[in-house]
Order: sequence, then structure tokens, then C-alpha cells
Amino acid sequence: MPVINIKEKEYTYSEGDVISFAEGLIGLPDMRRAVLISMNELEPFRWLASLESESTRFIVVDPNLIFSGYDPFDSSIKNSSPVQTLAIVKVSSDWQKTTINLRAPIVIDPATNRGSQQILSDSQYQFAEVLPQN
Amino acid sequence: MLVLSRRVGQKIIIGNEVTIEIVSVSGDGVRIGISAPSETSVHRYEVFTEIQVANKAAELISNQVEDDVLENLAAHIRTKQKS
Repeated sequence: MPVINIKEKEYTYSEGDVISFAEGLIGLPDMRRAVLISMNELEPFRWLASLESESTRFIVVDPNLIFSGYDPFDSSIKNSSPVQTLAIVKVSSDWQKTTINLRAPIVIDPATNRGSQQILSDSQYQFAEVLPQN
Repeated sequence: MLVLSRRVGQKIIIGNEVTIEIVSVSGDGVRIGISAPSETSVHRYEVFTEIQVANKAAELISNQVEDDVLENLAAHIRTKQKS
């Protein structure tokens, strides 16, 4: 099994887990091939880690776990196959200052493992949404 | 930078597939229509750069953050989910 290093620890993944981002992420072209790494102590967060650049990785979360009803593509109108949606977390040591990018979610098609970062234009969702405060 | 003059209703083509039409002009505002293949993303430049900056900042912080900060934050969210 191939391994990836995250903060000096090794994690294994299989080639079938590799997500391809044809265009990378916005401003991060080194994110063309990446894997999602789960760790028990970080649930519900996961690492989205580039296989091309060791320093290119993010903390991500399924936004629906925190903001229930998050529906960036208005699934009632767009009747498409289900996709996995992830949001990038900007961590702060003060949880009240931690923000989640709901405006530019990462969307992955589980059937093909292809992903992209979408920008929601004219959306109510924010680039830096704070966690629910109560 | 290539600069072209166009009138309302006239178009520009970029590559073989992207066309840009001047829809209307009012004062210093211009309405532009863009036709592009669905896989080509089109965004207002300011929005694109804002996300670029946000991605870079999140990447930097993810790499610098101490493990215990992350674990505490994750634990906080798990507690909220249960309540």
C-alpha cells in the first residue's frame, strides 16, 4: 500500500482512493491528485492531502455535519447524481474564530473520484462562515 | 494585454469555444454575456482571488496548527453534534 506523510506520521491509502482534480484547487495547482485521510481523534475533520506536494493539504469537513440543510446546488432543482461535498476549514486555536468556506465547496463524484472546487456565485453562503456559536 | 474596441451586440471569441458579447453599456458599467463549455469556469475576478487567498491561508494554517488544537476543535464539534 502506498503511504503519505502527514505531520511526520505515515498513513496508508490505496490507489482507488486517489481523487483527481483536473484543475487543482483554486490557487493551488499542486492539488491535482489527492487523498482524504481520516483519523479517529480528528473526526469529523479529515485531511485532504496532495500527493504531489507534501505541504499542500487542508483540514476539510462535510459541511452538512455542522450546517444541516447546507445545499449549495439546490438539489430540489438540479436532479443529478449524489456527490460528496467537502468544505475547507480555516482552523484557529480559538474555536469561535475557526471558519469554514461554504462559498467554495469541494465537490467529488464518488463514481469517478474526480473532484473540483466550485465557486457559488451570488450565494448566501460565506467564504468564512463561523461555527455555530451556541 | 490585447485591447479591442467593441459595440453593443458585438462579440469576441477566445480560443475556439469561449465567446464574450457586450450586452449593454450604461455609464461606466458594462453587461457582458459569456458562452463557454460547461467545464470552463467563469467567475468575477475579485471572487476568484478572494478564494485563492482563502485557500492559501487555510493551507498555511492547516500545516502550522498544533495537533492538540485540532483535536480539541474536533472534540468540540463532536460534542455539539451530540447535543
